[in-house]
Amino acid sequence: MICLHASLADLLQFRFATRMITAAMLGLFAGSNVFGEANRDSSPELKVGSKAFTESVILGEMLCHLGRDAGASVEHLAELGGTQILWNALVSGEIDAYVDYTGTIREEILAEAARKGIAVQSEEQMRQELARRGILMSATVGFNNTYAMGMREVVADRLSIRKISDLKNHPELEYGLSDEFRERRDGWNALAEHYGITTSNIRTMDHNLAYRGLVHNAIQVTDIYTTDAEIPFYRLRVLEDDLDYFPTYHAVVLMRTDLEQRAPNAAKAFLKLEGLIDPSEMSGMTGRVRLQNKMEAFVAGDFLNNKLQMNRPLPSMSPTAQWKRVADRLLKTTMEHLFLVAVSLGLAILVAVPLGISAARSERVANVVLGVVSVIQTLPSMALLVFMIPLFGLGALPAIAALFFYSLLPIVRNTYTGLRQIPAAIRESAEVLGLDQNSRLRLVELPLALPSILSGIKTAAVINVGTATIGALIGAGGYGSPILTGIRLSSISLILQGAIPAALLAILAQWGFGMLEKKLVSPGLRPPR
Amino acid sequence: MFSLDSVSKSFGDMQVLKPTSVEFAVGKSTVLIGPSGCGKSTMLRLLVGLIQPDSGTVRFDSEVMTPDKLTTMRRRMGYVIQDGGLFPHLTAFENISLMATYLGWGMDERKKRVEQLAELTRLPNAALKRYPAQMSGGQRQRVGIMRALMLDPPVLLFDEPMGALDPLVRFDLQEDLLKIIRTLGKTSIMVTHDMGEAGFFGDQVMMLSEGQIVQQGTLDSLIHQPANEYVTRFIHAQRIPHV
Repeated sequence: MICLHASLADLLQFRFATRMITAAMLGLFAGSNVFGEANRDSSPELKVGSKAFTESVILGEMLCHLGRDAGASVEHLAELGGTQILWNALVSGEIDAYVDYTGTIREEILAEAARKGIAVQSEEQMRQELARRGILMSATVGFNNTYAMGMREVVADRLSIRKISDLKNHPELEYGLSDEFRERRDGWNALAEHYGITTSNIRTMDHNLAYRGLVHNAIQVTDIYTTDAEIPFYRLRVLEDDLDYFPTYHAVVLMRTDLEQRAPNAAKAFLKLEGLIDPSEMSGMTGRVRLQNKMEAFVAGDFLNNKLQMNRPLPSMSPTAQWKRVADRLLKTTMEHLFLVAVSLGLAILVAVPLGISAARSERVANVVLGVVSVIQTLPSMALLVFMIPLFGLGALPAIAALFFYSLLPIVRNTYTGLRQIPAAIRESAEVLGLDQNSRLRLVELPLALPSILSGIKTAAVINVGTATIGALIGAGGYGSPILTGIRLSSISLILQGAIPAALLAILAQWGFGMLEKKLVSPGLRPPR
Repeated sequence: MFSLDSVSKSFGDMQVLKPTSVEFAVGKSTVLIGPSGCGKSTMLRLLVGLIQPDSGTVRFDSEVMTPDKLTTMRRRMGYVIQDGGLFPHLTAFENISLMATYLGWGMDERKKRVEQLAELTRLPNAALKRYPAQMSGGQRQRVGIMRALMLDPPVLLFDEPMGALDPLVRFDLQEDLLKIIRTLGKTSIMVTHDMGEAGFFGDQVMMLSEGQIVQQGTLDSLIHQPANEYVTRFIHAQRIPHV
């Protein structure tokens, strides 16, 4: 188990060793190209990242366009699960660049340095501090996307709320706040303290779902970004920050300094974003994606072509092309999802069945093994995923590792109980016949425990198919990607493109294991008709 | 065939078998009898090595039974328990021939032997394809006996073999089993709490109480020269219907 307080350097060393092992383990699958690896040619291969909100994805696409225009092949690990995931990925070289915000850098990324008394207030101070970590911070992209508090105009008018300080006179208001805003140091708690707001009417919800909550009056106040395209669309009022709470959040490119040697042209190209986008251009682009259903790659490329007279090819928006993309996405996410499930489940079977057998043989082993796998099961899936990142980086590997751990309990437990449920008389009969321990296991005990073991594997498979969807948060792809994008874009159609195949796959797994059970389990063990 | 030399066995604080020395002669049928908890099943389980003695030694064919020799020694014993102890995932044929298959017998050889045993135990051939759940209690018990006889062991051990059978089935099977033991000239050791069964099978009856042998000899000698009041009470504690 990895110690949470280990330094980053320790983690990275450990990560290297474990990656070598898992790379060897997964060598079998190396032939398949489901990770979407870029082609192997002489051009540098780069990866850029983005967070799970539209502005970040558009800026990620823009980095892709700029890098490709400079001759690099660029992969976009889109919609990753948060600042920590992206920052760690950048430092460890999983990605080469992404766009973040000065406020986030100050309050989140450099919070540790700030606690140690290092000044990180000015952008220049931040730039120096990041450089020490091997990261280059560009000048601002040109807009300040800060947090703000928003309400619908009609509601705000009725209650005469214009400023954030007005909120404290209305304890009846219901708040829907994004997870990140509630958790971060410069988020809700500090804001409420700053303004003296006391309320317990707070629900944590996805930023994009909060807009729906506002429309249906399930909530009246939410945190918004000042460049959100929804502000005009839903007629929201941005409450005035009258006590100057929110810090500035200038968008900046963060990239690894070694890029200047590895891919000098791309590194230079990435910096073309400096000063390129003003606030209205940014919210305009976000609007085109969110409200006019344009693809991020299209909007980003279109903007660059106009603004920098570039000639980036744009994805076609014709119905045929769109349908083809739906089909391609379905095929790609299916392959990715199957890969995640099959590899993690396969490895789990190889490990869990022997564990279950040794647990069945010794009560002491049983206590330890069942205890440990049960504890793993109680870890929140998101937390387990984040633990896997320092070990395995981003993508399919950490997701497979997390799914592997989740699959252990049902298989271990069912192997254990399946073997334990064999009546003593039958176990002894096998023994007195003159079979040694291994032959008894092979000829008598495992065949008798098989229905239980198979049903454990079935449970693991079904859980696994569902849980694999969160792999999208760390760039593992699968059916979670369209779901995540769908939530971000409030697109039911996209959500269903992930949810329906995931449900079908779960049913298919259930059915398939049912068939397998019929084939493998002795007719003598079926309940009499 | 078997001998116990000062063998004792406890489970926790309970001494279920007090230090006991006894011999089981070759070619003889011995019946261990006594109430529940008297130590008769413990003695049988010591003989097949399912439990190890706390003190003393158990010998089989003059050889001390040690854990490393157990597996091969057991192939020279046939063990039959209540309801047959059959493996539910195997057909009757597979149950009977499991060890032969394991030891590498050919199919023809196995088939021939099983047919021979089916005739001996009067098991209908059709039952050989059935799984234990599809057979009657009497058939299961016959299959259990066939399985014990498959490798033609010199000794047969029975732990309450008729316990789960209804009286008519039991009556027929007792007849058949005695005939089999006599015909094949096997040494046999049987645990029962049924006095009638003990008299029917045993050349020699060994009565146990509270972890020790109270008396051994022919049923006749137990009836006419009982060692103590307990033996007399046990023998007469059988209800015979008055008609």
